[in-house]
Amino acid sequence: MIELLLLSRLQFAITAAFHFLFVPLTLGLALLVAVMETMYYRNKDETWRKMADFWGNIFKINFAIGLVSGITLTFQLGTNWGAYAEFMGDVFGPPLAMEALFAFFLEGTFLGAWIFLGHNRQKLKAFSMWMVALGTNISSLWILTANGFMQHPVGYEMAADGSKVVMTDFLALITNGYVWYMLIHTLLAAYLLTSFVVMGICAYHFLKGNNNEVFKKSFNIAVIIALATAVMLPVLGHGYAQYVTALQPTKGAAMDAIWETRSSVPMYLIQVPDSSTGSNSVQLLGIPGLASFLYTGSFSGTITGLNQLPQDELPPVEMIFWSFRLMTILGSLFIIVALLGLYLQKSGKLYTSKKYLKLLMWSIPLPYLTITAGWIVAEVGRQPWMVYGLLRTANGVSSVPTSDVLLSISLISAFYMVLLIFEIYLIKKTVVNATGVE
Amino acid sequence: MFDFLTHDMLAIIWFFLWCVIWGVYFIVDSFSLGAGLLVPFIATDKAQRMQIQSSVGPFWGGNEVWLILAAGGTFAAFPLVFSKMFTFLYLPMMLLLIGLIARGISIEYLHKDENPHIQKILMWGWFAGSLLISLVLGVAFANFFKGLEIASGGVYIGTLIGLFSPYALIGGVLFVLMSVTSGAFWINVKTEGAIAIKAGDLAKKSALIVLVLALVYLAYSFMGIEGFTTNYSAMPALYLLPGLAVVTAVLAVFFAKKDRIFPAFCSNLLAFLFVVESGLASIYPYMLKSSVSSEYGIDIFEAASSHMTLSVMLGGALVFVPIIIIYQLWAYTLFREKIKETDQVEY
Repeated sequence: MIELLLLSRLQFAITAAFHFLFVPLTLGLALLVAVMETMYYRNKDETWRKMADFWGNIFKINFAIGLVSGITLTFQLGTNWGAYAEFMGDVFGPPLAMEALFAFFLEGTFLGAWIFLGHNRQKLKAFSMWMVALGTNISSLWILTANGFMQHPVGYEMAADGSKVVMTDFLALITNGYVWYMLIHTLLAAYLLTSFVVMGICAYHFLKGNNNEVFKKSFNIAVIIALATAVMLPVLGHGYAQYVTALQPTKGAAMDAIWETRSSVPMYLIQVPDSSTGSNSVQLLGIPGLASFLYTGSFSGTITGLNQLPQDELPPVEMIFWSFRLMTILGSLFIIVALLGLYLQKSGKLYTSKKYLKLLMWSIPLPYLTITAGWIVAEVGRQPWMVYGLLRTANGVSSVPTSDVLLSISLISAFYMVLLIFEIYLIKKTVVNATGVE
Repeated sequence: MFDFLTHDMLAIIWFFLWCVIWGVYFIVDSFSLGAGLLVPFIATDKAQRMQIQSSVGPFWGGNEVWLILAAGGTFAAFPLVFSKMFTFLYLPMMLLLIGLIARGISIEYLHKDENPHIQKILMWGWFAGSLLISLVLGVAFANFFKGLEIASGGVYIGTLIGLFSPYALIGGVLFVLMSVTSGAFWINVKTEGAIAIKAGDLAKKSALIVLVLALVYLAYSFMGIEGFTTNYSAMPALYLLPGLAVVTAVLAVFFAKKDRIFPAFCSNLLAFLFVVESGLASIYPYMLKSSVSSEYGIDIFEAASSHMTLSVMLGGALVFVPIIIIYQLWAYTLFREKIKETDQVEY
């Protein structure tokens, strides 16, 4: 049973993480390309057309895998998490079906239209891309509505026999505060990731000496988005952290490895948590009251420590602590990189700053890492609950033969590896070949 | 919302919608699947491959969403069925998944790289994906009509091998051939030149085979499958469905002979629709029929979501399905021109 649970969790983690390698860039590029198509329609400046074509190509390659890998997750809710599907169907099913009705049909239909329409029908082409962008972004609202319930159940009651949740208020599901915190955080992170990918690719071409208008203009747009999102994310994250701590004290305390309940909790710059002893083996350079401020909004606020919370409801503390640190440290770094980029661009030194351009290129993987770390905090942080406070992960799993799960996890992982290599190869080829950008 | 409808009535409406969504999926995806099944065999060079790719390129994604809606709709309206269906058929579902991914990636990436080896691999990937999807769904639906080996307490005692009965295999082959025929007609309608002629000739032959196989399948269903006729005896009007399946399959052959390809294409689609609906009509009120004993099956009333969930979803479907149909039809009119060998699409 343990093995089955472990394998099922591993399979979901792998497929969800893989899917989310492609989603953020899709969300951001869809909007960016839609803007470029619209600009071309409005002023017929060829630079905008070239930009739309170049970034559109990268969008197409990226979107294809994002689309097909998403189906895996829906399927697995039935194949591997059947007990969860039965328990949650009444609440989880509608957002999922709405996602298909509101979003997937828009994406699926208008993506085909956008790809096959020529620039001689620019108005329709731009409109189609806006529909794709609308579809992808609305899609995240619906899936986060479903996920938000798992984090913070609202608008439901338990069935009389306790076997499942029954929806009582659909509006409450959509207006769930958790959903909106997550949605804005996720979308901003996606736009940040997109801007860093765009800046990184532009940097590659600047280093090669291809200082044409396409990359210059793309960079100028991306650096503004990068700075705006990088600054907004921690501001929003602050509110988000307080909200989470109030709703899921276990996750909140694990994010900063706070073991004992106390007020005016300092935040330690250097800290190593150790869940086997229920304390930190190292803690140095504490900033007084900062943790209290971050999680409660007041420097003297009280935080419930992990040792005072039910011990069988604790998530894996180290994993959440380190993921959270990684996310916040990289998040701060992004602000510096974006500020530097804006400064260099304004002072006209950008195209000759080799070190900075190389830094940008090598920064491309960082937002991916940051987003993955963020999801680990959010999803591992609600463990051992699958639906917080209502259903334990161990009780959500399907009773299927372990050998079947082993087979499927091997098959899917191998298949995904091939897809990933192929995708990177195609994107690299598209980027490298775009020296002249026609 | 919909307070004037009882819970049972909502469950019945959703069963009806469920049948409609599956039916729409099978007909709209049949020609994208068929194109994939045919591409390695009828396209002789890159130009012809591109013609086939462009004939389905703008549509396949939108078509596949009907399948996702069918899955999502099952989850929302009948969660118990969703869970059981996917758990019982774990490995077939994984095969279907691999097929969906392979098909999607192959169509999108087919000509993204000039390397002929990569193009060859992707062409066969497109074929293999399309084959897996149509075959697995054909075998799965035949098993739904026949009943799965569900024992007391909703315990599944079937095996993977057990799913491949002669009846299920005929169902699988029939779904594949109906898709092939649909794809061949579609390529003929949507393209010009050598590939169109080749596809048209092939469609004429395969339409005839589909007619024969459909007759065998329906006869087997009515005479060899336990409990298949129960609903038909209770409500003889249902015989219209298999009747129309046969008539439209005949019409497909007839129109094809007369070289009226578009009506032949539509007739073939309708034949596919009515074959599927004939089977679905037989299982009501069960969604997962049990071949062990009918009392162990999972019926729509037991599996249905709450009144609120069913009504919210019904509201969503009533507003959005018509809008979706309108913009999908609009997309078809947008790309109504025939694709020539010389057409170069930046795909």
